[in-house]
Amino acid sequence: MSTEENVLKAKQKLIEDHDPSTASTTASAQKATSVVGVSKRFGKTSVLENISFDVAEGEALVLLGASGSGKTTILRIIAGLEQPYTGHVILHGRDVTELPARERGVGVIFQSYALFPKMTVEKNIGYGLKIRKRRRKEIRETVNELLSLVQLEEHRKKFPSQLSGGQQQRVAIARTLAYKPEVLLFDEPFGALDTQTRVHLRREIRALLRKVNVPAIFITHDQEEALELGDRVAVIYKGHIEQIGTPFEIYNQPATEYVATFLGAANILEGVVRNNSVEVGPARLSVQLDKQKFKDGECVKIIFRPEDVSLSKTDFVRPGHHKLSTAVIEEVSFVGAYERLRLQLDKGATDACATDDSAFFLTTETPEARSTQSIIATRPKPEATITKLNAGERVVVAITSFTVLPLNQKQPNQK
Amino acid sequence: MMLPLVFLPLVSIFVFGMRNGLDKFWGALTAQEAVFALKLSMATSFWATVFNVLFGLFAAYVMSRYNFWGRNALIVTISLPTAIPTAVAGFALLLLWGPYGTLGRFLAPHGIQVMFTAGAIILANIFVTFPLAFGVIKPVFDTMNRSLEEASATIGATRWQTFWYVTLPSLRGAIVSGALLTFARAVGEFGSTILVSGNLAGRTQTAPLYIFAKFNEGQIEAANAIAIVLALFSFLIFSVLFFARDWLDVD
Repeated sequence: MSTEENVLKAKQKLIEDHDPSTASTTASAQKATSVVGVSKRFGKTSVLENISFDVAEGEALVLLGASGSGKTTILRIIAGLEQPYTGHVILHGRDVTELPARERGVGVIFQSYALFPKMTVEKNIGYGLKIRKRRRKEIRETVNELLSLVQLEEHRKKFPSQLSGGQQQRVAIARTLAYKPEVLLFDEPFGALDTQTRVHLRREIRALLRKVNVPAIFITHDQEEALELGDRVAVIYKGHIEQIGTPFEIYNQPATEYVATFLGAANILEGVVRNNSVEVGPARLSVQLDKQKFKDGECVKIIFRPEDVSLSKTDFVRPGHHKLSTAVIEEVSFVGAYERLRLQLDKGATDACATDDSAFFLTTETPEARSTQSIIATRPKPEATITKLNAGERVVVAITSFTVLPLNQKQPNQK
Repeated sequence: MMLPLVFLPLVSIFVFGMRNGLDKFWGALTAQEAVFALKLSMATSFWATVFNVLFGLFAAYVMSRYNFWGRNALIVTISLPTAIPTAVAGFALLLLWGPYGTLGRFLAPHGIQVMFTAGAIILANIFVTFPLAFGVIKPVFDTMNRSLEEASATIGATRWQTFWYVTLPSLRGAIVSGALLTFARAVGEFGSTILVSGNLAGRTQTAPLYIFAKFNEGQIEAANAIAIVLALFSFLIFSVLFFARDWLDVD
């Protein structure tokens, strides 16, 4: 079968999928975009290692990573602007790895939007159909539809330089939707905008994507953006996927320490597994652990977020809370929506895993911060208002949820 | 300072040219040889411009899109004619294409004579205006946003479509100003043309050569009439370049 026929079939399928009535169970279950075992090298440097993921029809996947993590390269490989070293890109069941960008039918929304400066809004949107030699009437109708979809009817005769950033972005999206793309790729879509516009626009784009039901892949380094935009999020670190899952999973059940710290502040303490519980200093946190993964006496890390910490002045531990330790409040600071406290944990019994004399240690935000035995806690405003806490006071520290990760680097001290 | 150095010489051309009345001026201008010289200048400059704009466009594209060994050396070579005295350029062309020249000597037995023809004037014009269009177009290529071309490719355009619809419109201003510069420079060319053309009145005599010849013959009025035309012409091109900049760069 020729490439053109393949394209036509894929396009036809996409048109059907646009109509909710025909978007049957088969279509929704189908993989719209797959990246299989992709790796990439620039010279001798490996920038991507064995990247694989699927995007379902209508799904939004966010590739989240720091700059230099390789996320942009993944996007460029899907678009055909970069060739992978190994692996395949599959769009609606069609292997496009060998195809040049122009034959793939993907829509790329560049960070700079890349609107054609000498063309009006109309001409920009109609460009994809014009080069496909469609009839004038058809082009005009499609452009009109898209202009109303992105609400830019009154700007149709303007040039890109006369539009705001948000409007330009909508033109860029409409320009790709015109030729019914297999998948939409957004490269740092909100990087060039101020915070307020950014929040507003990403909600707008989310709503627009739900309307057109085209699968989308976003690239960002902003974790808040990733959690809000994505049906699923893939955390990319040094050229490989650290974890892929729903925003809830990524945030609450991080698979690695990197994921935990990249997605926000995280407290990390070391502990030892003792039948169905983890011993952290003096505390015993009961938890259901995978017996295959964690053996008795194994050293582990427990990770919990500042908002998982519950503080009280009495020793009463509420149901569902795990008592951790007692602590002294080192610092209380007001950071707008909530209150932030730094706590010095009381040193307990000697930890079997500790390599230094401290029973606890911590990371917050960056792994480099790991040095003291303090942890960070946050309290919502109502609680902070009702129960005042001041620096120097002693409190009982409990945590409401936590994640246990293996501590591969260290072997337990046998006693 | 500007007055005696720049402005007064220009004024004097017009003052002297018109001194004997418009009739005389018009007569000198419409003399057969004068008209021929002007036409020849326009025609040879036109072809040199066409060639150099096309070549400049191509060279600029290659030099800014591809990185290859010897690229900088090539850029310097392309730009070299700016620094070479035009008489030297004309002399070099004679040595190459003349009846006893390196290449010309093989062509002469076949009755092909390159020098002392209109073709020779075009060759000389091409040589001396070679870097002008290239020099104007290349910086535009260098600063052009690459993602425009990438966007065009992902939308489905072939390379040619991308060049025609996306790249070329962004170059419009540079191409027009490059062409005007080249043309203006070629029309005024003297040093190389006087060597390669043979300066045959009514056959290979361009407008600047005509001025020189008439001046030597003592026909100041004839020389002056053409001088006025060339001065006005340069002024026109400069005005276009200056005032049309907004239009050329419109987004």
